[in-house]
Amino acid sequence: MVDVTKFVKKAKSNKINLKNFYKKLSKKLRKWNSEYRHLVLINEIDSVEFSLPNGNLYGVPLSVKDCICVKGMESRAGSAILHGYKPTFNATAVQNALNNGAVIIGKTSQDEFGFGTFNVNVGKGFEIPLNPHDKKRSCGGSSGGAAGLTALLAMNKIPHLAIAESTGGSIACPASFCGVAGFTPTYGLVSRYGLIDYANSLDKIGAIARTTIEAALLLENIAGFDEKDSTSVSVNLKLTKTDTNIENLTLGIVKDFFSEGIDREVADIVWRKIKELEAKGVELKEVSLPLNAKYGLATYYIVAMSEASTNLAKYCGIRYGAALKLEGNFDEYFSKVRSKFFGEEAKRRIILGTFARQHGFRDAYYIRALKLRSKLIKEFKKVFKSCDVVVHPTMPIIAPRFDEIEKLTPLQNYAMDLCTVPANLAGLPHLSVNAGFSRRMPVGIMFTADHFNEEKLVKIGINAEEPIGEKE
Amino acid sequence: MSEKKPKAIIGLEVHVQLNTNSKLFCSCPTDAEEPNTACCEICLGMPGSKPKLNEKALEFALRIALALNCKINREFFFSRKVYFYPDMAKNFQITQYEVPLAEKGFIELQSGRKISIRRVHIEEDPASLIHEANYSLIDYNRSGIPLVEIVTEPQLRSAAEAKEFLDSLIKILEYLEVFDSRRNTIKADVNISLEGSERVEIKNISGRKAIEAALEFEESRQRSLIAEGKKIERETRGFNAEKGITFTLREKEFEEDYGYIFEPDLTKFKIAKEFLEKVKREIPELHIAKAKRLQEEFSLPKNVAETLAGEKALAELFEFLTKKINPELAASFLTRELLAILNRDNLKLAELDLDAKEIAEMLVLLQENKITEKTAKEAMINYVHKKETPKKFIERNNLLIEFDTKEIEDIVDAVFAEHKKAVDDYKKGKKEAINFLVGQVMRIAKGKAEPRIVRKIIIKKLRGGKQ
Repeated sequence: MVDVTKFVKKAKSNKINLKNFYKKLSKKLRKWNSEYRHLVLINEIDSVEFSLPNGNLYGVPLSVKDCICVKGMESRAGSAILHGYKPTFNATAVQNALNNGAVIIGKTSQDEFGFGTFNVNVGKGFEIPLNPHDKKRSCGGSSGGAAGLTALLAMNKIPHLAIAESTGGSIACPASFCGVAGFTPTYGLVSRYGLIDYANSLDKIGAIARTTIEAALLLENIAGFDEKDSTSVSVNLKLTKTDTNIENLTLGIVKDFFSEGIDREVADIVWRKIKELEAKGVELKEVSLPLNAKYGLATYYIVAMSEASTNLAKYCGIRYGAALKLEGNFDEYFSKVRSKFFGEEAKRRIILGTFARQHGFRDAYYIRALKLRSKLIKEFKKVFKSCDVVVHPTMPIIAPRFDEIEKLTPLQNYAMDLCTVPANLAGLPHLSVNAGFSRRMPVGIMFTADHFNEEKLVKIGINAEEPIGEKE
Repeated sequence: MSEKKPKAIIGLEVHVQLNTNSKLFCSCPTDAEEPNTACCEICLGMPGSKPKLNEKALEFALRIALALNCKINREFFFSRKVYFYPDMAKNFQITQYEVPLAEKGFIELQSGRKISIRRVHIEEDPASLIHEANYSLIDYNRSGIPLVEIVTEPQLRSAAEAKEFLDSLIKILEYLEVFDSRRNTIKADVNISLEGSERVEIKNISGRKAIEAALEFEESRQRSLIAEGKKIERETRGFNAEKGITFTLREKEFEEDYGYIFEPDLTKFKIAKEFLEKVKREIPELHIAKAKRLQEEFSLPKNVAETLAGEKALAELFEFLTKKINPELAASFLTRELLAILNRDNLKLAELDLDAKEIAEMLVLLQENKITEKTAKEAMINYVHKKETPKKFIERNNLLIEFDTKEIEDIVDAVFAEHKKAVDDYKKGKKEAINFLVGQVMRIAKGKAEPRIVRKIIIKKLRGGKQ
């Protein structure tokens, strides 16, 4: 019983004994986690209490990315510097899911504060999660634990939804590498209250699930205006009740993301999928995003690092998280704490981000990046005048092996986000689903729609995806 | 000495705590006393929390900006000012940088000189630090209290002029009911130089008295250096309030780098026209205009009108009283008696919740000579401190004057007849003899006559006798 909607129905009508289900799941999770390390914290679910059967997610196992606050549950954003931080409040998205009956099974692994593409930049003392399709390979990042766990549980016929988060592609990338659906909504659709910030103007809480419709179900149940997040918006979503007819949709093929640097087989699989969609009735069109292709990565990394370097300023070992013996003056003390508990990539981004907003360089980097960002959004908006959804490979490659990742320079590493960054920079909703397999590894296809056009993504996703865990 | 004394050049950056009920970005109260009892995940900067603008603080800041004749930027946003300091919950302060809430205003001084306001912006207060012998404690009750920063152009020409500016600014803030000088603090960074010399900055001076003292000290320090033929160094100084002196903090002034970015957790704000108009309409007549009007409308001496306009509630009480009371009597009672009572215990009229009607009723009695001045004063003290209405006080103590003028005249005649020597003494020019006569009349009237009236009648009769 892997289908979430069917599972909810059975749980509500008492055809599933939830207590037994969770007792067994608890044991399995512990066993699997010692092997795959998708979870950084496993919740006490062998003795979970259930309320009256209520809510669209009643009884559904839900994992939460580590950077999203769960009341009383250690929430570290994958960083050693937040060791021991137990929030006094639930993130609004988490609260919404709980109100709908979901059961939190644990917190999923991520790159420290979301700083990575392969979930190998884990915080000090954390373990790198392994891809369930091939343990020598990365789950992708930064929501690697969420995608890896979703794939693993799907393979084992266990229903599961994951609350994840994307700043520059952190939902789409691991979804692609693990062969599951990663749904990043329009910026502001899901409240960020309770999200431990990476880059606030880019951060979006979203969903990872086995299928498009399950990811859509989770999104519907965590989205909504929240007065605690000034950037949240109120939109009436019609996702799970949408029809799947795609005959009147136009699909724009972004030619810039099929050329240089894209693995041949990955491009072929995505092309084949596009042709299948054409056969199902969508109209195809070639479009181009030259500015995004050229400046997307640079713009993204400057904005993201500038904001990140201010967000990370608060970690100084005083009120929460890791601390050391109080010695020396304030500057000496916090420098010691930060040196000891931040990982390498966090330090790199603090330094680069601080540089980009420094007096004398601010205009050339930070301010220029902001200006470019609006140009890049305009370019997208123009493309959406001629098509409903744009399409391209999610990642230029299949999930890389860890020994391959080690050889990448930081710059080559950042270049992996080429295709996912533009939609994130523009705050556009996007969905990555499994398009097929190359060398027995999943290949993701990514669809991006105009702001608040999530429904179109659901239609296309349902028609395009090849979910794992379907065949016996 | 034909050499001209160089003028001082002073610019102020004033930080005013707003008198809102809750903090700038969360709903924590602003009036907690026990340390660290008014804080939440937001003002503690806990990971995951987000700010949310308190619209009352925006409204208060708008009132200030409008009262200072500023141009309002209807579209504005917040920025992060990043620096590491133990009183900072997030190690960045949410403030305004590129586009302040308002700019280009002024305050007009008595001399008619307009002091330009460069900008008015909103920001959050950091926590407060309590320094002990070898450690420090942090109290987050102050973290996130709304502040308004008011920056002047360097146009003030002396410490005295800066004092007048501050005085006027504080009165404006109090009139706007956005600041309570006993509950909220006012701080300033000041720039001060003498014409032709280097500029000195004095950082973080807390409290109006200290700001004034620092400016006075610094101006005279710089003047002495010049007089001694020495040079003034460009530097940043601190102020020691206990000793009343400024001291060197950093010798070479350096450009601090705060790495400002836009605050991405708060969207751009757009002030609706209707809202701005509403706030504008609600700006009351301010103290300078009020003093001018009172002076003209009621023919009051300038200083009396200014004293009355010094506190909004006082001026309002005055205007209420003039409906029934002679303005001269009302003004003199309020500025002499009532203010003395209030100042003795550092009280504010606005907070006492006194009924103006009760005060008016009592002053009618005084005006009609039905109570003595002494009674009026005692009744007022009693009203302020014990909340017993003057009417009840007068009744309870049986203080209504029972003698009318005719009765007093009869008593005076009797006293004159009995004390001819005193009458003669007075007529011979021994003016103090009158005190004896008044005393005799008062003795017979058992205190229930008004000595002022008795004296008047006696003088009238004595003069009449001469004619």
